[in-house]
Amino acid sequence: MSIYFDYQSSKPVDPRVIEAMTPYYREEFGNPSSLHMEGDEATRILEECRESIAGFIKAEPDEIVFTSGATESNNLALIGFALRNRARGNNIIISEIEHISIHNIAKYLMKSGFEVSRVPVDQFGRIDMRKLLGRITERTILISVGYANNEIGTVQPASEIGELCRERKIAFHSDAVAAEGLLPLDVGRDRIDLLTLSSNDIYGPKGLGVMYVRKGVRLNPLIIGGGQERGLRSGGENIPGIVGMKRAVEIMEKDMEEEVERLRKYRDRLIKTVPKVIPRCHLNGHPTQRLANNAHFRFEGIEGESLLLSLKDNGISVSTGSACSSKTLEPSHTLISLGLLHEEAHGSLEFTLGRFNKEEDVDRLLDVLPGVVERLRALSPLYE
Amino acid sequence: MKSTQYSERVLDHFRHPRNTGILEGEDVARGRVGNPVCGDLMEIYIKVRDKRIQDIKFKTFGCGSAVATASMVTELAKGKSLTEASRITRQDVADELDGLPPVKMHCSNLAADALHDAINNYLNKEKRKPQSVKKVRYQKRAIIGEKEFLNKGVYHRIDDLSVFKNKRVLVLDRGEKSLDTAVKLTKQTGRVIFVTSSKDIAANPALRTRIRQSDVKILYQSEILEVRGNNEVERVLIHNLDEDEEYELFVDSVIVLQKERHSSENKIS
Repeated sequence: MSIYFDYQSSKPVDPRVIEAMTPYYREEFGNPSSLHMEGDEATRILEECRESIAGFIKAEPDEIVFTSGATESNNLALIGFALRNRARGNNIIISEIEHISIHNIAKYLMKSGFEVSRVPVDQFGRIDMRKLLGRITERTILISVGYANNEIGTVQPASEIGELCRERKIAFHSDAVAAEGLLPLDVGRDRIDLLTLSSNDIYGPKGLGVMYVRKGVRLNPLIIGGGQERGLRSGGENIPGIVGMKRAVEIMEKDMEEEVERLRKYRDRLIKTVPKVIPRCHLNGHPTQRLANNAHFRFEGIEGESLLLSLKDNGISVSTGSACSSKTLEPSHTLISLGLLHEEAHGSLEFTLGRFNKEEDVDRLLDVLPGVVERLRALSPLYE
Repeated sequence: MKSTQYSERVLDHFRHPRNTGILEGEDVARGRVGNPVCGDLMEIYIKVRDKRIQDIKFKTFGCGSAVATASMVTELAKGKSLTEASRITRQDVADELDGLPPVKMHCSNLAADALHDAINNYLNKEKRKPQSVKKVRYQKRAIIGEKEFLNKGVYHRIDDLSVFKNKRVLVLDRGEKSLDTAVKLTKQTGRVIFVTSSKDIAANPALRTRIRQSDVKILYQSEILEVRGNNEVERVLIHNLDEDEEYELFVDSVIVLQKERHSSENKIS
């Protein structure tokens, strides 16, 4: 097993979650739509889980819709809302540093006749509220801004955006996947109307997501069928997955505070040490308003994929903003939005910590990283 | 296929690159190519004796396959005659490495191109007289949007540096005054970019040292084509003169100092 610093990409399912799920694959396999004993038990557990998961974000149970994951939730939030509320306006605002799914959904909506504007961020990745205001028109019906960024970990002023939206009767959607389990979420406090969650991002099973839909907010369903989830998302419920997510929420509610403090300690050690032991290395993202598990650096004169490969050779798994390791060869749009040049985005590495990291993992990384950077810089024509 | 799914030979050349470094001397020529898509940069140095590549070295900024292809091309070219070496193709490089992921084929293109560039430079060097130092020139081309965004992110003069606190500031080369401004701005913000159309910084030695030691990021051989935004400056369109490439950069402010006579500074000091 490698030393894993890429919790943002994927997380292992907590063994306690798997244990909770297993009976629902074998003994308790009923369909909530059925009227027999097995069906009744399925309905009971489904509603129990809905209540727990609603509590995690301070919502009501009937505001929770289960989906197949965060991407589906984002689709339902943006496309479902836009199509249902088209009569009120056709303008949607997103931020420049949204997750790629939001960007691509926005492009799809543009092809369907909607007008999408993207609000820029400052050099630390925070939304500029004045620039957001400047983009709102009479036709604006929805603003979608991620709770925290998945790459650089910058936390957005969600409460302020929520307030601004509420005053103007604009719906506020937030993709909270990166923030889940790291920040306490409260849809009431932040005046969020639509919120995207993923089960795996709190160490729950993969292939399950949640869409929070505030009471009174109307959406068109994207998946039509037997009318499950109040007609908003048809298809037989993924009961074992939902049970797993409930267990993941219970564990989070008990341990989150302690876990976040531990990760923050490791993260702070990285942020403090790496730029000190490696010359011409800079932190990307916000110095303070950032997720407790995120450290993101750029190293002048070297390219991220080379760094990633060298760390891989040393048994360390990380992510990079480099284009060379992406399918499209385009550098990360998030890093470019910070105002970085292509070559700077290329030389960036992302470290995201998680539940199963230990202090020794950080020791090992700090041992290996300076040498790896030095070797690659010796090869580089851009570093003297 | 994943872009990092490399053959064992690619990984071997990445882990143990051959012929790294630079060469210097009379009989040395350098080839240098950049790939605008990937942002890769490759330099190949050849030392030529009797029309043969006696020694060859490389330096690369780039991904795993950029390192491996550069390493491989030096292996292939070493000891070859200039004519033989100029026949080495991107396919030869890729084949010798047991193939490359399809999206990475441009990296092998780059390695062969850098070699060919070095050979050409060597051949031209023999004919060419030493070039006179190019005169520094300032961007003359008008910036689209400069008037529209004046004092909404575009500034012609600066009275108070503190308004740039934590802003991303682009300073256009207008001589020593603008360089000095760029250095001073680093006290206000971590992000100062200096854009100059020349290849080097034209300033007195003290100022040159200050700018080198500062956090100012310098974009050489570049000009600003356009300022873009929504009521205020949000992005600029930069033109890289060397690679003839255009790209957008997110910034908050653009400083184009006015009313400076720089005829006396029109030489590299």
